[in-house]
Amino acid sequence: MADPRKAFADALLEIGDKNEKVLSVSCDSASGSGMKPFNTKYPERYIEVGISEQTGVDISAGLAVNGFIPVISAIAPFISMRAYEQVRNDVGYCNTNVKLIGSSSGLSHSPAGSTHQANEDIALMRTVPHMVVVNPGDCYEVEMALKKAVEYVGPVYIRMPRHAMEDILPREERNFELGKAEKIYEGKILVIASGTVVNDAKRAVENLKEQGIDCGLINVPTVQPLDKEVLLEALENATAVVTVEEHSTVGGLGDAIASLMVENLNSSPKLKKLGIQPGAKNTGPYRELLEAYGLTDTEIIKAIKEFIEA
Amino acid sequence: MKKEFQVEATEKFAHRVRWHIVETVINHGEGHAGPSLSATDILAVLYNGVMNYDPADPQWEDRDRLLVSGGHKCLGIYGTLVEAGFAPASILEEYNELGSHVPAHPDMYKFPGIDFSTGSLGHGLPLACGMAMAAKLNKKDYKTYVIMGDGEQGEGSVWEAASYAAAKGLDNIVGILDRNGLQINGTNKEVCDTSPLEERYRSFGWDVVVIDGHNVQEIYDALTSAPLTKGKPTMVICNTIKSKGMPFAEGKVAYHHWNPDKKEAEAAVEALKKYQKERWGI
Repeated sequence: MADPRKAFADALLEIGDKNEKVLSVSCDSASGSGMKPFNTKYPERYIEVGISEQTGVDISAGLAVNGFIPVISAIAPFISMRAYEQVRNDVGYCNTNVKLIGSSSGLSHSPAGSTHQANEDIALMRTVPHMVVVNPGDCYEVEMALKKAVEYVGPVYIRMPRHAMEDILPREERNFELGKAEKIYEGKILVIASGTVVNDAKRAVENLKEQGIDCGLINVPTVQPLDKEVLLEALENATAVVTVEEHSTVGGLGDAIASLMVENLNSSPKLKKLGIQPGAKNTGPYRELLEAYGLTDTEIIKAIKEFIEA
Repeated sequence: MKKEFQVEATEKFAHRVRWHIVETVINHGEGHAGPSLSATDILAVLYNGVMNYDPADPQWEDRDRLLVSGGHKCLGIYGTLVEAGFAPASILEEYNELGSHVPAHPDMYKFPGIDFSTGSLGHGLPLACGMAMAAKLNKKDYKTYVIMGDGEQGEGSVWEAASYAAAKGLDNIVGILDRNGLQINGTNKEVCDTSPLEERYRSFGWDVVVIDGHNVQEIYDALTSAPLTKGKPTMVICNTIKSKGMPFAEGKVAYHHWNPDKKEAEAAVEALKKYQKERWGI
């Protein structure tokens, strides 16, 4: 298990050493986001805006059109929802080179309730023109998402998890690229997972395979744009599809996959979207809340079995 | 490149911009003439001796930046950029057509010389903060000018950015407040009074200058005096008359958006002709 904020911090520092145009923009969120080492080493490249996410996003856009690569971080609901219009107009429609970090994403702030949980950020960011939306599932993906986002010219939104994570696969087997999905297992019952719950989905699939169920798994770190090639190839052979995400069942990975299937396949397999039901506002310890929302390995196993037996 | 400021040349420039605004609205049948006309003299001064710019190189990195935060003042900035040599006057014939370079809010990818697309109120000042911070980081001495309205001061993001600009010592921002006192639903006082703007900005840490926004010499003096204090942003509050130059509409709420009938169109054209005849005998 490794700390995603440390992975982010190390990656930002490495990027900053190589590219002097990279700036960190914080909305009183630098320490929680893992920006501190960069800010300590490069205080002149650290823009502290305070608790003003709308201004933070527009400052970033103003910096970007003058040649800088701002990496702006704020707690996920505030950067993606409070500042949505600034993101939509001044980053998306204007196609400015801003990297948005939604820190403590999803249910990270599990005891804090709906104000601080971001269960709709992917849905919103998917509607923003030109926006690449990345949902990392382990520290390798956190590190690579940030590095690739800074190399890429254009708007990127990265969900930044808070709780310790285990690697989905050994690093030597990985080859992260923006917009690329990763086939982990082949199978007719296709599980498509993204972000923090990929490891749970993977354990669930492994367990079901042991039970003789022909389960496949695709990891989708980039929710927008989707990797059509890898996904459609697997979807064409699937008899049932289950999406898994730490996000609302409205507008996230599940709906993106649903659209992909019905727009491209002559006959779509049935689909079950596992995620957070709209309006759910339970609170509690992180793993317990994930379980309550049916997103831990044991709950995913139950849901898949019910779905394919129905 | 900066023009040498001359009062008469600037007033004539402003008058030509008023012609563009009025003719474009008449030709198209509707448009935001009122807010453009209240800011016309300010825009004319900016492009006649205040701002550094190069029409042949709109992206010149040392140019001064301008954000017209109320994008509905688009005809004012389009007319100004045409007169400053960024585009031919014929571009205004496309106003609000499908695929136009001159839509009802300015788009930086469609019209050369627009430093950032605007439309939604309350975005200009925070964007200006980013541009001004970029100048500081790049050790450039360009200034960032941002024109806002008094109605726009109701947007919370304006005050986030006002706080930021002062807290971070962005003395390379020059705010320009086109205080015409009117907005869509009535006077600013009737709708939701944003005064006292002088005190508000001062209390946020800005230097504030209040001038007649139709007196080009006063505008020039105020804009070129900024920053008044090292380390402080400057707000130039310009008292203006909405629809300035169309006597039948001046200072009237109903003309935020103008749909001219034949009589009003003729009256507007006559007013412009009369003004130039009386003023300059032309």
